[in-house]
Amino acid sequence: MALFVMRLFYIQVIQHAYYMEQADSEQMKKFVLHAQRGEIYAMDGTTPTKIVMNETVYTVWADPTEVVEADKVVEVLNRVAGGNVRDDFKQYLTKKDTRYQVLARKVTRTQAELIKKENLAGIGFDAVSQRVYPEGSLAAQVIGFVDAEGNGKYGFEQANDTTLKGVDGVLKTVTDVRSVPLTVGDKNINVPAKNGANYVLTIDRNVQTKVEQALSDGMKNVGASQGSALVMDPNTGKVLAMANLPSFDPSNLSAVTDLSALNNNIITNPYEPASVMKTVAMSTGVDKGVMTPDSTYVNTDSIVIDDKTVQNATKGQTGTITMQHAMNWSLNTGSVTMATWLGNGSVDAKARGILYQYYHDKFRLGEKTGIELANEQAGTVIPPTDAQGNAIRYANMTFGQGLDVTTLQVATAFSAIINGGVYRQPTVIAGTMSDDGQTFRAATAKSGEQIIKQSTSDTMKQMIYNARQAFPNYHSSDRSGFYVGGKTGTAQTIENGQYVFDQTIATYVGFGGEVGQKPAYVVMIEVYGPHKNLDGGHHALPIFTDISNWMIDYLKLTPQG
Amino acid sequence: MSYTRTAQFNSRRQSNWGRNQNTVAFASAVKLGPVTHTVLVALMITVLGLIYLTQATRASSYDYAASSTADQISTLSDQKKELEVENARLTALQAVKNSSVAKSMTTPTDTQHVSE
Repeated sequence: MALFVMRLFYIQVIQHAYYMEQADSEQMKKFVLHAQRGEIYAMDGTTPTKIVMNETVYTVWADPTEVVEADKVVEVLNRVAGGNVRDDFKQYLTKKDTRYQVLARKVTRTQAELIKKENLAGIGFDAVSQRVYPEGSLAAQVIGFVDAEGNGKYGFEQANDTTLKGVDGVLKTVTDVRSVPLTVGDKNINVPAKNGANYVLTIDRNVQTKVEQALSDGMKNVGASQGSALVMDPNTGKVLAMANLPSFDPSNLSAVTDLSALNNNIITNPYEPASVMKTVAMSTGVDKGVMTPDSTYVNTDSIVIDDKTVQNATKGQTGTITMQHAMNWSLNTGSVTMATWLGNGSVDAKARGILYQYYHDKFRLGEKTGIELANEQAGTVIPPTDAQGNAIRYANMTFGQGLDVTTLQVATAFSAIINGGVYRQPTVIAGTMSDDGQTFRAATAKSGEQIIKQSTSDTMKQMIYNARQAFPNYHSSDRSGFYVGGKTGTAQTIENGQYVFDQTIATYVGFGGEVGQKPAYVVMIEVYGPHKNLDGGHHALPIFTDISNWMIDYLKLTPQG
Repeated sequence: MSYTRTAQFNSRRQSNWGRNQNTVAFASAVKLGPVTHTVLVALMITVLGLIYLTQATRASSYDYAASSTADQISTLSDQKKELEVENARLTALQAVKNSSVAKSMTTPTDTQHVSE
């Protein structure tokens, strides 16, 4: 009896910690409660609609120490989920020194149900989410994708990965032999998962669809191989559509052969935007009071800056002409002459200082806009204090050379020029949505900054409108009764540090709206093809017109008269 | 006539007995030995153990019911999600555009704006 009591005392008291540890290791299990990645909505007019969803699939795993019918497990998994099992997964069932071995991934709910019915000991299921894209490749470069580890890559998914992911929870509990959690025991821990935020984008799926189609059609018409199109609300900075071609299907990444298709060139690819920048240069001149649309200068089709001669791309408009005329014909001498008026008759330090102040500090060219998308590039605007910031560079900058900026930067600056002079930070976030998809919380509107005078904006808007109306082939396809303006750009390209002469980028940026009202939209187009000389008026403008006419209908704008 | 007390009575309150305590004790004729005591104690422990096990098992049965309900919720939630995904696919613009209804539509020859 004494021996018995002593043995009990030894086991229950002296060896207490040891046996508790043994019991815990066999009975306690820790489960990760996966947070649901936030879903992404786009606007469908005024209604948010899902464009990125989650679908629950299952990871089938085994606890080899508890598997008793290995052959049956192999047979069932091969029969039910043969296409999803790991190669030679039978070997993992024999690893008795481990307690978690993945046997199959991305098993559907139906498959998981069939496996569960077999009541296999030692087999468990982890529900995991995978992304589903009901709209296919729509806005793929804006959205990005999620990799196999659940990390957002490219676009919105990468830029907002942390908030989309949420925070995983944990469940530590006593379980039975089939890993069913039991409430017995006093060491159970249950920390619920916190799901990621559901975002509503400003992208309108109708506008995006139209823009992608119009860009694709326009590129086919001119034989371009790459193109970008951007539609913004100039009064709020909201991006309504952002498209680049070629694009990709986020649900079929293995089909992507050229990784550059993953890039959103509108924000990642700074370039010399050429003559569309004359709108920024002329705004500077008007705002500083050195010119009006009626100001005149003598055009000789060239102008000498230091020891360099700047030529007009379009010849023959010589003589005394107005700045409006220079804008219409996109004459480089006009914008360079304006720059000399900013200084003391030349593009001196004073003129360069003013241009830099407007380009960089006010219109924020050469700075990231802060849009909520990954991999945005700042571009380059060389300051006048830099040795490279000389007179010829700043003369070139007035017609869009000698600086690198993104399409988004140009469109945002252009929006400020025609919206009353207010810089609005571009955004793709309209708000957030509750988990049940019922409550939309609009994002706080970002305050704008008045960067040029209202009167300057009014003058420039009319100048840009006139530039479109100056040529019948520019506006003949416009819907009548609306106020539509724009500016062409034909950008030279640089290869190995040198301009090449057999390929140019065609650009067009413009606005549209009701007569007498604020412009309702800004559209910027850019098309390009290797060894193709494309120009803004012939190759980018028609795409703008197509989108502009459609936007007038879509926004239900009312014509004058 | 006078009456003389001849007997001396002691008050019970003054005795060694406590108040209201039984004055009569019944001794059982059954005598329990140490073995019987041990068996009875063992039986009591067994009964208590059974009660504990019953309650613990009942708690576990609730766990199984809860687990089953959680599974049902999860299954229904997954089914709902699958239907939502299917609905989104069917109402995607590309699907609508390629539908037979959309394909049978024609472009109007002229449109007019009507002032209200």
